[in-house]
Amino acid sequence: MNKKNRRGVFKAIAACTLSAAMLLSGGCGSRGGQGGPGGPNAQQGGTICVITKQHLSFWDDVKKGAEDAGEEFGYDIVYSEATNDNDYSSQEAAIYDAIKKKAKAIVIAPNGKTELNKAFEDAEKAGIKIININSRADYEGVASFIRCSDYESGSVAARNAITLMQVKDPELAGLKNIAIIPSTAATSEERVAGFIDSFTSQASDAIAPIDMTETNEKKVKEARDAKIDAYKKGVIKGAECSKEGAAKEEAMKILQNNQGNISVMFGTNTNTTLGICEAIEELELENEVVVVGFNSDEKELAYIKTHVLDGTVIQNPYMMGYVGVRYAKRAITGDSVPSRMDTGAVFVNAENINDDFVQLMIYPDGKPDAAENTTGGEG
Amino acid sequence: MAKNKKSKGSGAYIFAGILIAVIYIINTFLVESIYWGNQEVSQKTGQANSALNKINSELTAINMDSISIAAGIIPPEDIGITMGDTNKRYGNIIAAEHQFEAIEDLNPTVLKRYNYAKALITAFKDKLDSLGTSNVQAGNEEMMGNILKQEIYPLQTTASEMLISTIDVVNVETAKMNAANTKRAFALMTVMMFVAILGEIAVWLFARRAKKIRAELEEREKNLAEVDAKLKATRQKASDLAVINVLTGMKNRYALDSDVSDRLETGRFNIAVFDMDNFRSINDTYGYDFGDEYLAAVAEKLKEEFGDVAEIYNITGNEFCFLFNSSVTESQAMGIAQNIQRVMSSPYEVLNLAVQLPCSGAVYHYLPGDCLNVNSLLVKLDTALRSVKMNGGNMINTVMNM
Repeated sequence: MNKKNRRGVFKAIAACTLSAAMLLSGGCGSRGGQGGPGGPNAQQGGTICVITKQHLSFWDDVKKGAEDAGEEFGYDIVYSEATNDNDYSSQEAAIYDAIKKKAKAIVIAPNGKTELNKAFEDAEKAGIKIININSRADYEGVASFIRCSDYESGSVAARNAITLMQVKDPELAGLKNIAIIPSTAATSEERVAGFIDSFTSQASDAIAPIDMTETNEKKVKEARDAKIDAYKKGVIKGAECSKEGAAKEEAMKILQNNQGNISVMFGTNTNTTLGICEAIEELELENEVVVVGFNSDEKELAYIKTHVLDGTVIQNPYMMGYVGVRYAKRAITGDSVPSRMDTGAVFVNAENINDDFVQLMIYPDGKPDAAENTTGGEG
Repeated sequence: MAKNKKSKGSGAYIFAGILIAVIYIINTFLVESIYWGNQEVSQKTGQANSALNKINSELTAINMDSISIAAGIIPPEDIGITMGDTNKRYGNIIAAEHQFEAIEDLNPTVLKRYNYAKALITAFKDKLDSLGTSNVQAGNEEMMGNILKQEIYPLQTTASEMLISTIDVVNVETAKMNAANTKRAFALMTVMMFVAILGEIAVWLFARRAKKIRAELEEREKNLAEVDAKLKATRQKASDLAVINVLTGMKNRYALDSDVSDRLETGRFNIAVFDMDNFRSINDTYGYDFGDEYLAAVAEKLKEEFGDVAEIYNITGNEFCFLFNSSVTESQAMGIAQNIQRVMSSPYEVLNLAVQLPCSGAVYHYLPGDCLNVNSLLVKLDTALRSVKMNGGNMINTVMNM
């Protein structure tokens, strides 16, 4: 290549380089003029495993909430559920699967208070954050416990049951016994306790009217406490049921054995509530017995519309799943998370069932065109 | 020619310059659009976060007031004032909601989260209102406590969570939009860069091709110039042949005519003619070729000896004319004439034979206007020369001026 050619090539390369430099320098200038794209919630990525109790519509809503949060904050959600609310071995396997998948966090509704502790310990050693939802796990490494208090939910059911009774009988003069069909789920015990405590407390004047002839306050209190304790002990508790059919049988048995002596019936989950409703409907006791239950299965909502079911306590499973993943994300990124969070409970009856908020809680993804068949609410 | 070359070469560079300018302008617009796009996103993000933070702070304040009422911190006589504050705060929440909802083109995910939060806030307010109108006024603290603990507080905390989530989603979406903007900008700039590089390569190729064509043209011009020079040389040769004697290489009579004609009127010069005596005997004895060789040898010697002092013409067969330089005086001319006679009369070796012939000459010191033309000049010289030859030759005669 002679001198002239070399000079030509050099000029061409210089021109190309100049053009490229102009473009690049312009681009750099534009970037410098804007704020950085990395906001406080820039995507971190990774996997969060959500492990629930069993295949029920309640947990479908938890899954929806978890998946929405995962999508919004850039995490992959791996969802798994146990076969029933006593199956902790499936959950244990799911935790080890999360370790294997190098998940960043686990959001779990445990099927046992301590049975999963060894798996939790191994997960924690693998750097996995643990978020507990729905029912408590007695494990120290839980970063946050998000739930709707079962005791308080039972209390909400009781308070509203009394309000409903007061519509017809403000003084509760005609108050009789209450009957409860508990479920086999771990949540049942606290719901029952909350219901009984709250009911007896708020209907205490009806259960144990103040003896106006007695002037000794201490004696008056002791007498009242005794009556309330007696009332509590007299509360009819059916056998624990997991199936709708069994709950119906149990309710039928109670209603038939205590004809005319039941004011309120309470079911602690979907299947027990439906069982009670079926029994009430069959025995045509809609006007005699106030029925309150739990959850928002389509069948339960239908019973509300026909006034067989006077009201049901609904939790916010969508919120539980959503906040569970959101807190998991915060724990992963090193942000602080509240150790407890109550997602609250709402009493739904024929009056407020169409409220926007209630509809949003029942149908987090919008109301479906046709009611889908569901397999029941939370266990 | 040089100017033409320069203008040809600069065309590609002018095109390159225009191309760079166009790219720069497009790039400027591109940068501007990206900048304003990001500005708009930042502005929307700021408005959205401002509204959401305001709602959240007012919600928290309402909740604090509610807890204070339920806990009996606020005395009964001040409950009315606090409830008034709550209504004002709720008014601020509504205003902030309008501010948020006025923002155009919000992402569906952001709206979904916001609507969830709004539904919770509405339920919170409804529940709070029912608490205010009945139990608060009735002073049913146990009921107030239960409603607050079991329903209102969870509603506030979940609503707050949803609001913060909305802010987070806004920030995530903003980050995504900024990232997408940046990616788009880089993609466009890369395309522009490729276009620019391709353009520059095209310019370079055009320039290279133009250069090659120019080199070819120069080569052709050079060849044409060579052909032209050859043609001129041929013409010159042909022209020379008309005035040069082929045998001796000296100028002929026509050349003398051309050289002297203009000087006859005003010029003063010395001129002489010499002729071999009895040259015909050489031709007759040795042949014409030998005679030609002999003449060529003599002519060569004469050019060698007197080429510096005179222009020599071979005007006929063996007759040579010497037009002396203007610096040569009359006396010098005579001296040179004698030398010419001596040189011409010297023996010459031609084809291995030594040949020697005497010669005669005539010298003419020409004065302006002596002759009308060259012919009459030569007649005078020839007359003087014949006069010598008639007297036996081997002499130099002088043309007498009239």
